[in-house]
Amino acid sequence: MRAIFIKALADLRRRRLQATVIFLTVLFAMAAGTTAVTLMSQTRDPYQVAFEKQRGAHLQVAFRPNTDPQLIKGTAATIGASAYGGPYPASNIQFRFGNRKFYVDAVGRDNPGGAVEVLNITSGRWPVANDEIVLTRSFSELNKISIGDLLKVTSVAQTPTLTVVGEVVDIDEGSADLSSQRAWMLPAALPALSTPDSSFYLMDYRFPSDPTGPQLQTSLGLLKTSLPPGSVAGALTYLLIGSIFNITNQILTGVLVAFSVFALAATVAIVATLVTGIVISAYREIGIMRAVGFTPYQVVAVFALQIVMPALAACLVGVTAGTLASQPLLANSSHALGLAYTPTFSIGLDLLLFAGGILVVAVAATVPALRAGMLKPIVAITKASAPRGSGGRMLRHAAARLRLPRPVVLGIGDAFARPLRAALTLITVLLGVATVVVAVGLPRSFELINNSETGAGKYQVVVTRSSAYPDSDVMRVLNAQPETARVVASGGQNVIVPGVGDPVNTRLFRGDSSRLGYMVVAGRWYSAPGEVVAPAALMHDAHLKIGDSFTGTANGQPLQLRLVGETYDINNLGHSLFMDIATMASVTPAVEPFLYDVTLAPGSDVSAYVRRVAAVEPDLLDVRASDTSTIAPVKIIDLVLLILAGVLALIGVGGVFNTVLLNTRERIHDTATLKALGMSPRQVIVMVGASAGLLALVGGLVAMPLGLSLHHVLNDVISNSAGNETPPVAYAVFNAYELVLIPLLGVGVAIAAALIPGRWAARTNVVEVLHAE
Amino acid sequence: MSELVRLTEVTKVYQGGITGALNGVSLLVEKGEFTAIMGPSGSGKSTLLNLVAGLDRPTSGSVAVGGMDLGKLGEAGLARFRRDNIGFVFQFFYLLPNLTSLENVLIPAQLKGSEATARARELLGQLGIQDIADRFPARLSGGQQQRVAIARALINSPTLLLADEPTGALDTHTGDQVMELLGKLNRDGQTILLVTHDAKLATRHAARVISVMDGKIVDDARLESPERAASEVIRVRSEETSR
Repeated sequence: MRAIFIKALADLRRRRLQATVIFLTVLFAMAAGTTAVTLMSQTRDPYQVAFEKQRGAHLQVAFRPNTDPQLIKGTAATIGASAYGGPYPASNIQFRFGNRKFYVDAVGRDNPGGAVEVLNITSGRWPVANDEIVLTRSFSELNKISIGDLLKVTSVAQTPTLTVVGEVVDIDEGSADLSSQRAWMLPAALPALSTPDSSFYLMDYRFPSDPTGPQLQTSLGLLKTSLPPGSVAGALTYLLIGSIFNITNQILTGVLVAFSVFALAATVAIVATLVTGIVISAYREIGIMRAVGFTPYQVVAVFALQIVMPALAACLVGVTAGTLASQPLLANSSHALGLAYTPTFSIGLDLLLFAGGILVVAVAATVPALRAGMLKPIVAITKASAPRGSGGRMLRHAAARLRLPRPVVLGIGDAFARPLRAALTLITVLLGVATVVVAVGLPRSFELINNSETGAGKYQVVVTRSSAYPDSDVMRVLNAQPETARVVASGGQNVIVPGVGDPVNTRLFRGDSSRLGYMVVAGRWYSAPGEVVAPAALMHDAHLKIGDSFTGTANGQPLQLRLVGETYDINNLGHSLFMDIATMASVTPAVEPFLYDVTLAPGSDVSAYVRRVAAVEPDLLDVRASDTSTIAPVKIIDLVLLILAGVLALIGVGGVFNTVLLNTRERIHDTATLKALGMSPRQVIVMVGASAGLLALVGGLVAMPLGLSLHHVLNDVISNSAGNETPPVAYAVFNAYELVLIPLLGVGVAIAAALIPGRWAARTNVVEVLHAE
Repeated sequence: MSELVRLTEVTKVYQGGITGALNGVSLLVEKGEFTAIMGPSGSGKSTLLNLVAGLDRPTSGSVAVGGMDLGKLGEAGLARFRRDNIGFVFQFFYLLPNLTSLENVLIPAQLKGSEATARARELLGQLGIQDIADRFPARLSGGQQQRVAIARALINSPTLLLADEPTGALDTHTGDQVMELLGKLNRDGQTILLVTHDAKLATRHAARVISVMDGKIVDDARLESPERAASEVIRVRSEETSR
């Protein structure tokens, strides 16, 4: 055993460069894999912990304000809830802070405790007076509102001022960047802030055990039938909130897992290539080892060990680095849930990953090393190395026919001289380039989707009116501005759609909404009253397809609708309906828009416009430039993708470098001969570079369709996780020249990587090499 | 005849070597000569050949070929020099295994940027191996491989053909054939510098035999007839051995 270690260590010292390649590739693969697995195993835990600790509601239901609170209270027993909170009076209010205005659902509660939905006060205190309010920490941090700040309520004519006295974490709503938010006041404070169309009752239900989605729908159905029709205004389940909390990490985990598998596959390819190369070049040494008494298994062990040793170090560092890298994301989740961050990892899991990594590398090293063990001693000792690969002839002939310079022709032939090695190298290149394609494409797809959600380039100003300010006045003010080119107004009202448990939010447009930039996935945008478009999740849940007609219920009355198109909308995870406001007016004549998307004439000064319109009615109009910035989770995903692409590209370059190094060393005798025949150092470098360039080119060309397919699949996975299908334009984010440029860039990088072995070959002393033979 | 190769006080010391591989060697080779350099293993004869080919550089002294001081050339210049002026025949042929015979012959011309397929085929024909043009080295006999190597050495019409133990890896009969071939080339005007340890082989074909011992030229015989030359060379070698 000692002899095996001594020999393996000596070989390792001799092959420091290759050991470094192994160390780095295994390190990257293990770090990415550990991050993914840690996120995957731990993300549900913080939510679960907080949900239990704060006795989260499995089901939250909003009731219309005219529903009898006693009847609402009785529904808990009807649906078998083990605990309930409420009914709490609530009202959607608008307040002004600085020059910005916000909407929150103000909920009246005496205290933050109770049997369900315990509010975790992270700073400040609970309100003790009617002019005090508590906000969620998520909302406060996002909008930079602090305890002690004054908020002027603008949704009621009296415009009372409230003081922020506390911040809480509410486990029963999503974070502020993804969901609307609640605020809490004393119940006695609510009436003064409520208007008839903004009030509702909120009721929390908790069941003895965590119910499934269908069980929750059944409970909701029971609840509806036990009350007068139209009593339920909306509902929210803990499953949806959990998804919102975890969506970033879920997408990240998916991406990380996919690319960790890539990185590991590339590592296996590099290890196999390396060991094959070492065995091929060490025939004589193998013969000597056998001659002095090494058994076949010991020979195999020597070759496998010199790979496993750097891999061992890489796994150790990689697992540690991956665990550490996952912590900021987990800390972010903990923070959003109001939990104190404690490093979250599993030693058992880390050990398992460590062992798994070593096992994969050991197997990848042992299989090609078996060749060394199986060599007959006399054959091995009489041959300095394995017969040189004679593949690549067809390529060489093809290159010769193209009248390429001879060094290029020779290099092209060398690239595929050993087909297995070339194939393994192609795998690493393929994975690297494919990842780069994804990393380039996905952020663009995200940007397109983000632009469609934010109306980037379609409208520049968003105006929100308080209910105290009539729609007609808003339109008069906007139309009076010379820069106003187009106004599309919108409002909303819930509709009950057959087959969908929760009431569905609608976007009701007045004006040409087709120009707001919403992406149509299939079919067309609505063009007449009665026509609607919807995202995939709603279509799926309601079993609707384009062309279907169905009867919804709005305001307790039937509403005839026809689905004419599928759109992309991540709000409510794809559960919304888009239609003309006239469609809703047929059953709710009083419905009016409250949001105005204003398109300005080209060259208009947006800031000046915003200031001028806001000044008309500072308390009742919220006027702001359209926010087209990308949301934080998408930025995190983009960054992670960029890092992964860098890592995979590096592994790809490492693969090419490794192969070119092996090829160059193996063919150094031929190179010396060529030098003796008059090949110049530059021509030697060109020959080696051509070999690397061809591998990268072939890998890149194969990788492009793979990368595009992967981009397609990931787009679908991400869209589906947000309740949508990918719009065709989100796939087509590459220019034709980029499809050529990306593989060419890979060729350039590979040629640069080949410079090291190329220069080494060019500087080789011909006499020494030929003499050694 | 005019001067082709001039070595002036050439010394070559290998790293770690206590004694030099060559110690102050001076030598003049004229165009058209068939010169054999003889000596036992480690005497420095191959080092001398490598210096003339520009494959190695002297520790001191100068090497000039065709009036060109090789010491003044960089690596790229030396490569061009070899390509344009030198043909090299090795003991172990050193054919590129993944190229056919014809492709091997063509390599030096292609490195130079010229297309010489017709001349390569002509050379293969002259050497009697035109039928193996498309075969790979692994499928050739030793004699055939060495003929391919000679054709390759001649493809660029070199001013100087260097042959390092060209028969060392061949049986006697094939070795004789190769030497006949070199003799014929010389008779056609090719300057040849041959390294061999076989005195009979050298004297049968070379007009001049230089004996090297311990890095020094110990004898330089211009032979008038093969029989006398052989006895002279053998005498010199026996004297060297008895020292």
